[in-house]
Amino acid sequence: MKNRPIVFMLLAGLFCLATACSNPDVIPNFEDTNFSLVNEDGSAVNFPEDFKGQTSVITFIFTHCPDVCPVITANMKNIQSQLADTTGIQFIEISFDPERDTPSVLAKYKKLYKLNEQFSLLTGQPAEVDSLLSKLEITAIKTRVDSLHRDSSEYAMKHSNTIYIMDEEGRIRKEYPANVVPPENVIEDLQKIR
Amino acid sequence: MFSTRLFCLTVFLVTTFLIGCSSGDPEKEPVILGKIELSDGWARPAAQGQSSAVYMSISNGTASRDSISNIASPIAANAGIHETYKGENGIIGMRPAPGQVIPSGEDLYFKPNGLHIMLMKLKEDLAVGDSIDVDITFNRVGTHSIRVPVKVQQ
Ligand SMILES: [Cu+2]
Repeated sequence: MKNRPIVFMLLAGLFCLATACSNPDVIPNFEDTNFSLVNEDGSAVNFPEDFKGQTSVITFIFTHCPDVCPVITANMKNIQSQLADTTGIQFIEISFDPERDTPSVLAKYKKLYKLNEQFSLLTGQPAEVDSLLSKLEITAIKTRVDSLHRDSSEYAMKHSNTIYIMDEEGRIRKEYPANVVPPENVIEDLQKIR
Repeated sequence: MFSTRLFCLTVFLVTTFLIGCSSGDPEKEPVILGKIELSDGWARPAAQGQSSAVYMSISNGTASRDSISNIASPIAANAGIHETYKGENGIIGMRPAPGQVIPSGEDLYFKPNGLHIMLMKLKEDLAVGDSIDVDITFNRVGTHSIRVPVKVQQ
């Protein structure tokens, strides 16, 4: 068995992979950090401080994303509409493209997608948004969308696909794959957490 | 002497050119049996300057495979085919997916979370209730247009 060390290393590697996969990722925590953002009205908000006292369903989008982000937004709306009682629940969509997603752009998105007043769409200074995203372990990387490279201002992003539930104390409690999670799964957890 | 040779050369070139045009390759034959149909189209709402996605089914009822060579819409500065893909660690992205081929008798589906027609740099707002034209050019059958409504997915 000349190959024993290699076999061992392979097995050890597989074991590490398996444990990494079976352990759900540790859910991020704010640890009293707050972030200065703006909502779609252009009003300053302190996140998560201003959102404590209610249970929040939080997701991440950018408005130049016409395929998967509207699927995520539709899922957020379905969670809202399938909840028998939405009292004490708020819906938050944070942009990971603050350069293009100004408050007025988010206001327009909110109107075009017919999101009601329970929804807050948040953006901010790029550095502040970036540090919030990294705190929440949300990834967003610019990518090219124009195969002919005609236009460098036209970029997309590859990004995390996440819905979080944040409780009244501002603690992240649950995490879901945003575009595919059945609304009833989120609703079940919301009923326990609210 | 020189002019005779030039004349011969010209005749040769012109003849070659004419034969080339009239015989063509079989893919450009004008007679096409069956047709390509576009159906169930709809588009996402989006603001001026932003991007929308268009979804539809394309069925190739012709006897040969065909492929999409161009996408255009009077409402968008740029248009093309994209696909949404899953990367590592649950990351989602989209990338160009040009040149989609549809075999004879088969359908191609553009639908959320997958292939979509991406309209970039919209010239005006697209709101629910509007409708827009999309022109799809196929290598064999040429350009087909479809008018699609703007809708919010339920
Ligand atoms: Cu796209």
